[in-house]
Amino acid sequence: MSPEVQLAGIHPRSERLIELTRSYERAKASWSQVEIQLAQETKEVIKLQESLGFRHFSDGSLAWQDQLRPITRSLKGVESGTRYSRWFDTNTFYQKPIIVGKISASEIDPKNFLRPELLTGKRDRKITLPGPYTFSQLSENKHYKDYADLLIDVALAEREIIWKLKSEGVTLFQLSEPCLVYQPYREIFRDQSEVDLALRAIRSVVDASPRDFVVQTYFGDAAPLLPELLDLPVSGVGIDLFETDISSFMQEKTSKTLVLGVVDSRESFVESPNWIADTARKFSDKVSVRDLVFASNSDLKFVPQEIANQKLEALSKASELFEGS
Amino acid sequence: MTKLFPVQEIGSLAKPKWRTKGLRQRLSSEDLSEAEEWAEKLDIQDFHDRAKTILKTGDDRERVKAVLELSTLYGLRLFETTGVDNDGVGGEQQRVEMYEHVIKAVHGMNLLGHVHSFDNKYFNKGVAESKISRKHPIYVTEFLDVKKYAHRAVKVPITGPYTLVDWSFNGYYIQKQHASSPKTRKIEAKREFLLDIVEQIIRPEIRNLVDAGASWIQIDEPAVTTHPEPQEMELFVEAWNETVKGFSCKFSDHTCYPSEIGYKVLAEYAPKLDKCDQLALEFANRDTSRLGLDEDSREGYSDLNHFVEAGFSGEFGLGVAHVHDFTGNVSPGAGKSVGLDLIESPELVRDRLLFAAKIVGDPAKIWANPDCGLRTRTWDVAFAKLANITKGAELAREAYQ
Repeated sequence: MSPEVQLAGIHPRSERLIELTRSYERAKASWSQVEIQLAQETKEVIKLQESLGFRHFSDGSLAWQDQLRPITRSLKGVESGTRYSRWFDTNTFYQKPIIVGKISASEIDPKNFLRPELLTGKRDRKITLPGPYTFSQLSENKHYKDYADLLIDVALAEREIIWKLKSEGVTLFQLSEPCLVYQPYREIFRDQSEVDLALRAIRSVVDASPRDFVVQTYFGDAAPLLPELLDLPVSGVGIDLFETDISSFMQEKTSKTLVLGVVDSRESFVESPNWIADTARKFSDKVSVRDLVFASNSDLKFVPQEIANQKLEALSKASELFEGS
Repeated sequence: MTKLFPVQEIGSLAKPKWRTKGLRQRLSSEDLSEAEEWAEKLDIQDFHDRAKTILKTGDDRERVKAVLELSTLYGLRLFETTGVDNDGVGGEQQRVEMYEHVIKAVHGMNLLGHVHSFDNKYFNKGVAESKISRKHPIYVTEFLDVKKYAHRAVKVPITGPYTLVDWSFNGYYIQKQHASSPKTRKIEAKREFLLDIVEQIIRPEIRNLVDAGASWIQIDEPAVTTHPEPQEMELFVEAWNETVKGFSCKFSDHTCYPSEIGYKVLAEYAPKLDKCDQLALEFANRDTSRLGLDEDSREGYSDLNHFVEAGFSGEFGLGVAHVHDFTGNVSPGAGKSVGLDLIESPELVRDRLLFAAKIVGDPAKIWANPDCGLRTRTWDVAFAKLANITKGAELAREAYQ
């Protein structure tokens, strides 16, 4: 079977939707107009995935204002709205979660996360959420004395959110953990005890149904951590091939699915299907895996929608080329 | 004695509706009613004569010129009326925004479409499709209008080369690289693109501005703290030093919204920036909204210590007012929250200035300003914020008398 292609996060909004949200900000359009357009575009993103032969369907998370916000707004003990911080090394920003009390899941409204009514008929639904380690690292802690307590409480709360989303038909959860591999935020390289803690938090999110999860890393080199990531009880692990040095892999073998971030969500140049397939082959020569998934290295929201769609098409063609090789 | 805690603007103000509409089509007297209200507030004595010209002309170019000139005049007078000591260029009324305005003047670049920045804010992102060059001067016409009307000192904000490159797709420059590693290709492309922007676009622009009489240029580099890796910071320093080489005017840097470690890394490299007389930085966004001179209340300003420790000896433009949406709590006496706006009280501004002066060790090195340009706020809110900054600076001055 050819490698599956998946969306790996927030898809960009169209120029039409962008204009409408701007008009809404200027009180020149109503929120219901925005909602109608959001629904229309969500359907188009789903249709695009259908036409490209996707097996897991995402709604594109077009309404998400940043990668953390739906989780932030679903937690007790967390405030936001006073401070914006940069999302890694991109020119995008997120509302920083400020932890002011013990964290637990509050009343969870699945509508803040996805549009299940627009995914009707799609048996395999995918959603991308920040992993517990990345969420806690990107938050400001004003409550917990011990970081380990904070991290585990985030994980337990996230598990409840995920439980709720499962009842909405989500069958695949991508936990994005860029903070596991992105170094410049750190003054000192994280020590093994912190890595262990992060992996323990991920385990406590996924342990009830490990087959439903992939852990995605991006914006950093996953090579040093790959053996430990592959030990996680999850169905797949994702790596950013624009940051990861695959030449350092030593004939690894795993029974897991590897999600290859093989188109660059931060560059407009659309990778050719041949180059993508060739890069995936080079990876396969180094790492023997159960299955491969082709995806962008992170959310495609960093490029205009037209480019994002072209990148998905390139991934789909590359998947056919790869199978034929 | 030099005035302590002078107040400056950082760049943009919102564009009035009549300014935006007036660039696209003819205006009616009703369209100018908002301008008439503000004319009284800002003491624009020849408003009616100017309005007549704008309404009468059938020539699009003449109308656009008159509208841009009038909105620049309004921006300058808004700053003056609120007591700001340096009026910048009147709120950048003659620019689309800081990125697109420049990219549109560059041969070899194409705007690809909008990408998300935050909330419902986006920017039109460009790509280099061939080797770049300048089509025409970018800021000089605006500066000449500013020079004609400004009653106070003027500073010209320009978008810095590092930011222009960082916010663009490398396109042509990445396709011509041959390194096998995608990461190395990206870095090599960025350096070549950056040095072309400096030589082909930014230095000719500064030459034009200096020749036209500009004495202070603020180089806006919000992207510099985006990539705190040493090779990126060294690239930034190389581009900065190349940019200012041979010019004798005052230069300052404006940077805001860094990543977690951003200011610490910028502090380390700031002493290496040639001729950088001032760093104007965002701080209020990260501070508490309560009064006090203790470290907890003023936690947002603790990063100033890094600059002092690293030996940066220039001035600081201190962000003392938030410029984005605010939905948090405000303590008594620290200001008021109105809708999505926070209007900082003069007392909160005072405390922020005094706390910063204590860290820097010399109040003469501190300017007061909003965190960034005020273009996301209405003119009423911008007016209220700036007026309170000037009052807060006055209170801080009194503490030193």
